[in-house]
Amino acid sequence: MKLNIEGLLVYFPYDYIYPEQYSYMLELKRTLDAKGHGVLEMPSGTGKTISLLSLIVAYQRAFPLEVTKLIYCSRTVPEIEKVVEELRKLIEYYCKETGESNNFLALALSSRKNLCIHPEVSALRFGKEVDGRCHSLTASYIRAQRHSDPELPACRFYEEFDAVGRQVPLPPGVYNLDDLKDFGKRKGWCPYYLARYSILHANIVVYSYHYLLDPKIADLVSKELCKKSIVVFDEAHNIDNVCIDAMSVNITRRTLDRCQTNVDTLQTTIEKIKETDTAKLREEYRRLVEGLKNANVARETDVYLSNPVLPDEILKEAVPGSIRTAEHFVGFLRRFLEYLKSRLRVQHVVQESAPQFLKDIFDKVCIDRKPLRFCAERLQSLLRTLEIADIADFSAVTLISNFATLVSTYSQGFTIIIEPFEDRTPTIANPVLHFSCMDPSIAIKPVFQRFQSVVITSGTLSPLDIYPKILDFRPVTVASFTMTLARTCLCPLIVGRGNDQVALSSKFETREDFAVIRNYGNLLLEMSAIVPDGIVAFFVSYMYMENIVASWYEQGILENIQRNKLIFIETQDAAETSMALEKYQEACENGRGAILLSVARGKVSEGIDFVHHFGRAVIMFGVPYVYTQSRILKARLEYLRDQFQIKENDFLTFDAMRHAAQCVGRAIRGKTDYGLMIFADKRYARADKRGKLPRWIQEHISDGSLNLTVDEAVNLSKHFLRQMAQPFRQEDQLGLSLLTFEQLQSEEMLKKISQIAHQT
Amino acid sequence: MASLSEEVLLVVKKVRQRKQDGTLYLMAERIAWGPEGKDRFTVSHLFADIRCQKISPDGKAKVQLQLVLHTGESTTFHFSNDSSAIKDRDAAKELLQQLLPKFKKKANKELEDKNRMLQEDPVLFQLYKDLVMSQVISAEEFWANKLGGVNNTDPALYDNKQEVGISGAFLADIRPQTDGCNGLRYNLTADIIESIFRTYPAVKQKYSENVPHNLTEKEFWTSFFQSHYFHRDRINTGTQDIFSECAKQDELGLKSMVTQGVKNPLVDLLSLEDKSLDEGYGVRTAMPSTSNANRTVKESSNSAIIKRFNHHSAMVLAAGSGKGETPTDPASETSNTNGNSRDSDFLQPRVKKVKLQEAIEYDDLQGENRPKTVPLNLKKSDRYAHGPVPLQSQQYTTSQEIINSVNYIRHEMANYKPNLTQVLSSTAATSAITALSPGGVLMQAGTQQAINQMIPTDVQGELKHLYVAAGELLRHFWSCFPVNTPFLEEKVTKMKTNLERFQMTKLRPFQEKIQRQYLSTNLTGHLEEMLQTAYNKFHAWQTRRMMRKT
Repeated sequence: MKLNIEGLLVYFPYDYIYPEQYSYMLELKRTLDAKGHGVLEMPSGTGKTISLLSLIVAYQRAFPLEVTKLIYCSRTVPEIEKVVEELRKLIEYYCKETGESNNFLALALSSRKNLCIHPEVSALRFGKEVDGRCHSLTASYIRAQRHSDPELPACRFYEEFDAVGRQVPLPPGVYNLDDLKDFGKRKGWCPYYLARYSILHANIVVYSYHYLLDPKIADLVSKELCKKSIVVFDEAHNIDNVCIDAMSVNITRRTLDRCQTNVDTLQTTIEKIKETDTAKLREEYRRLVEGLKNANVARETDVYLSNPVLPDEILKEAVPGSIRTAEHFVGFLRRFLEYLKSRLRVQHVVQESAPQFLKDIFDKVCIDRKPLRFCAERLQSLLRTLEIADIADFSAVTLISNFATLVSTYSQGFTIIIEPFEDRTPTIANPVLHFSCMDPSIAIKPVFQRFQSVVITSGTLSPLDIYPKILDFRPVTVASFTMTLARTCLCPLIVGRGNDQVALSSKFETREDFAVIRNYGNLLLEMSAIVPDGIVAFFVSYMYMENIVASWYEQGILENIQRNKLIFIETQDAAETSMALEKYQEACENGRGAILLSVARGKVSEGIDFVHHFGRAVIMFGVPYVYTQSRILKARLEYLRDQFQIKENDFLTFDAMRHAAQCVGRAIRGKTDYGLMIFADKRYARADKRGKLPRWIQEHISDGSLNLTVDEAVNLSKHFLRQMAQPFRQEDQLGLSLLTFEQLQSEEMLKKISQIAHQT
Repeated sequence: MASLSEEVLLVVKKVRQRKQDGTLYLMAERIAWGPEGKDRFTVSHLFADIRCQKISPDGKAKVQLQLVLHTGESTTFHFSNDSSAIKDRDAAKELLQQLLPKFKKKANKELEDKNRMLQEDPVLFQLYKDLVMSQVISAEEFWANKLGGVNNTDPALYDNKQEVGISGAFLADIRPQTDGCNGLRYNLTADIIESIFRTYPAVKQKYSENVPHNLTEKEFWTSFFQSHYFHRDRINTGTQDIFSECAKQDELGLKSMVTQGVKNPLVDLLSLEDKSLDEGYGVRTAMPSTSNANRTVKESSNSAIIKRFNHHSAMVLAAGSGKGETPTDPASETSNTNGNSRDSDFLQPRVKKVKLQEAIEYDDLQGENRPKTVPLNLKKSDRYAHGPVPLQSQQYTTSQEIINSVNYIRHEMANYKPNLTQVLSSTAATSAITALSPGGVLMQAGTQQAINQMIPTDVQGELKHLYVAAGELLRHFWSCFPVNTPFLEEKVTKMKTNLERFQMTKLRPFQEKIQRQYLSTNLTGHLEEMLQTAYNKFHAWQTRRMMRKT
């Protein structure tokens, strides 16, 4: 249908629309109009993606000069592919309605592992191997060497692409990963480089967060993306962790050992080159004197996305003299390395700030701050000069030099923690240096600065005000949308007591409590008897799940559950878990029914949807607090308190509740879907916990379902399931949670819609 | 009836059957029961006919043993000796338990199938009686043709008996009970054993390797329950245990399942992440404590339990879905060809497409909500066709329309003028009718009276059977042509003798019988004609063959 969103003609590729979708588009349009950033929370399964795409595509067509590109970031590969498929649907609808042929170019970009078509390279299993092999075939100096020695292996797809692929732009269309591969195969071009090249002129790019947030990758891929782009982070509830991960470094003894061999190799290579080709080294020296001026020029003219690892100041300067020649630099690295080794030889835990670290390093080995800051750049230059083929081998020394640059650049937002051993095994020495980022805004800052609109959206972003705080940006729109429902298809229940009135909780003191474990088992057993098809149960941690499973086994609870359903359990091995997941789905599919025991914060809870019969009930055993004893977390909490005035407990609860919401939200993937959401912990009943659940879940928790016993919960569930089993047709939804074009026109409806968005 | 040469293995007195006291005899090949004071058996079952035995629970007042036959009937014996009822029953049970499996093989599945087919199809049963029991053709010949034919025409009809899955909790059903004196009792039934075998093929293999040469059945199961294998939380350390190998095999099976990977890309956790962080970056370091060295015994036993549960559930699922996985959706089509990775790479995109489309579909937003059609799979289509018929929504016409059409027809009839140029003259028509009526020129060969008025019903029935039998034989005979293999040559000769024998043993007596009853011998004329045609064909074929040989 064609919609009028405040004067903008939006093509929506369905005949009906959910009211919240309309509302969502309104808010989104306002955000784009204001050229600002937005935070939008809308329940999963209400067609968030298609609303987003419809509006932004319409916006792009209406104002081609103001918005040139949509950069859509999602989390996992299947998500990315889903987005592209929805986009395909939309573009097809456009073509059908307007009768014009499509002139939009939209494509997905993923890592080499998912795009490579080279027969040998693509057969490799791990992404890192693929990258390494690809690099060894396509690096510029390798190709230069091939001129003198044609025997060297080459990647014909890359050569072909390099020869002709750049001249002709990719024809308009929607390219998913497989489409790119097909196209590449047809043309004989490398799909990966084709895609990387094409994102510069594509209208819509769909890729993973890392391409924008991880400075190491963003520098390669997204540097030149146009400023007038709209950036969307979908499923963004974890975006702060992604930012932090991208900027944090861990150094172990093994890293240092490997680094040592790296430095040795560098040394020998330099000596070899010195004998054969001194000109090369001299050339490099000259370049370094000139400094990073070029990069600076590019950034000032606003061509590049800035790199947080490469702060503005250093671009203006030349590389300091002490590390300008190759030998000096290697010597410098050696010194730095020895220093790090000495630091790892501690007997007790050390925590210090970056300035403290810099002072110490100056005192001990006379390394100044300035050369440290250039370390990463200097190493890149050296590796290029030395024509090292296999970059993957040098990951250790790259890591160290990145660390050097980061630690000397940021005096705030990072902490250094050196732990001589793990807490659980104090006898085994395993020293680790954590250089941990505590401020997610550092990594995302360039994105907010560079692009005109950044939209952060997800099904679970509550409480909404915390994201602008921790990411340090000022949104123009902050809105949460509820789910309009013709029937209450979700049933959140808080089970606080067992039938014997024992309080249920996963809190630390009662973790080993037999009574709690037994009551949890009882809950699962009772549910397995009444819930059809699939049940997913989440535990707060893997350790906790292991213990509970073991004692359930001893008590024979699992065997009784097996009478009702098959049991599958997430393991720490991803391949094994995938197998279990598939079998789980098979068991749900053939009607036998199954239970999946899984872990909050685990891969399953983050990336797998349990639509319809794959998840008729989700049971959340306990509140999934993060492991609070970790020093890194403590440091981060302190930082949040000092910098953003966020109380420790508030943040911990917020973090626990967003994961709980993620877990239970897995079961509801649309309005025709239905599911029970059982929070099995009495702490959920408290207002501070409950209040942090997304609005669309919160509003269905009645006072009567706050502190239920297992039996009461079972009775309520039975009632709910019986209601849900009644046939549900489109007519039931129409006018309430589903609108036709005509219904959308009425004044009354528009008034209702305006209430859906909940501004904060 | 009891032949003296039979070896009696066990005699149990004071056994009641149908409220009658008597004695139970277990013999080498059958079980029999005779009422007290009589020297004949009123109940006698061959072991081969017995499907299984059931016993009453221990707590019950009556101590009973029930035998269920393949035919579905059952016989219940009530052990009524006050002092030793349970002992007697157990003795009988134990002996039966040893004996029955030996005969199990005889009564294999095929036999059951045949039995069932005969029961379900009275015509077939009659045919079987006529042909096989009177030894016109051998049973094998009869079935060879029948089973093949049936399977070819409609495999769904008989093969589609849905296989029964396995309860996920069959191991829970053998929860041990303490017997009060430091021992455990496990209750094993044939069903549970079957479940164990189907779920854990490795155990079955062990069983067939060791029982009964090395171990008795009892010893086998005892060691099974004592093994580490059965107790999933114990870590396997000893190697003397015969089941340690099973555990290894399971491990291998699990591994191969894991390496095979998953077909649905949406649940493949390995390829979920687009770009993982490089080693050394990130806050959450991989838990290094998972290495085996510093895991405590407790932890590794816990993870062993988890592994076993996953494996167990997967095996139960696999056993339930049967060996010949029927491809129901494109996702499972790949499963058979998933041998090597290249192969799956080609198939993956298609599966992926389907799954992606499924994932992005909002069926309630779509306009024309065309219901997804499911192909109708009817086992008995006639039941579908003649089932209760709901009132059909017909096109009712208004009375005005009816009146109008009646008027119209009346009008048409009034103006009707036959166009008779193309029609026979009335005389020719009348003569044709007389000629075709009974007694007319063309109908002289036909009997004037309907056959059902002339002949008594029993003869009719017999005739019908003869027709069916002859038809069956003739079908066998004609199916041999063209005779192009030595086997068929042999068969056609045999069929010819069969036909002759049929004529001699069945047709002739029937003819004589109807002659005795002074009925028209013409009744069998057509049968004879058919036989004659077959003979002619045979002779023609034989002479041609002779010619070729000479």
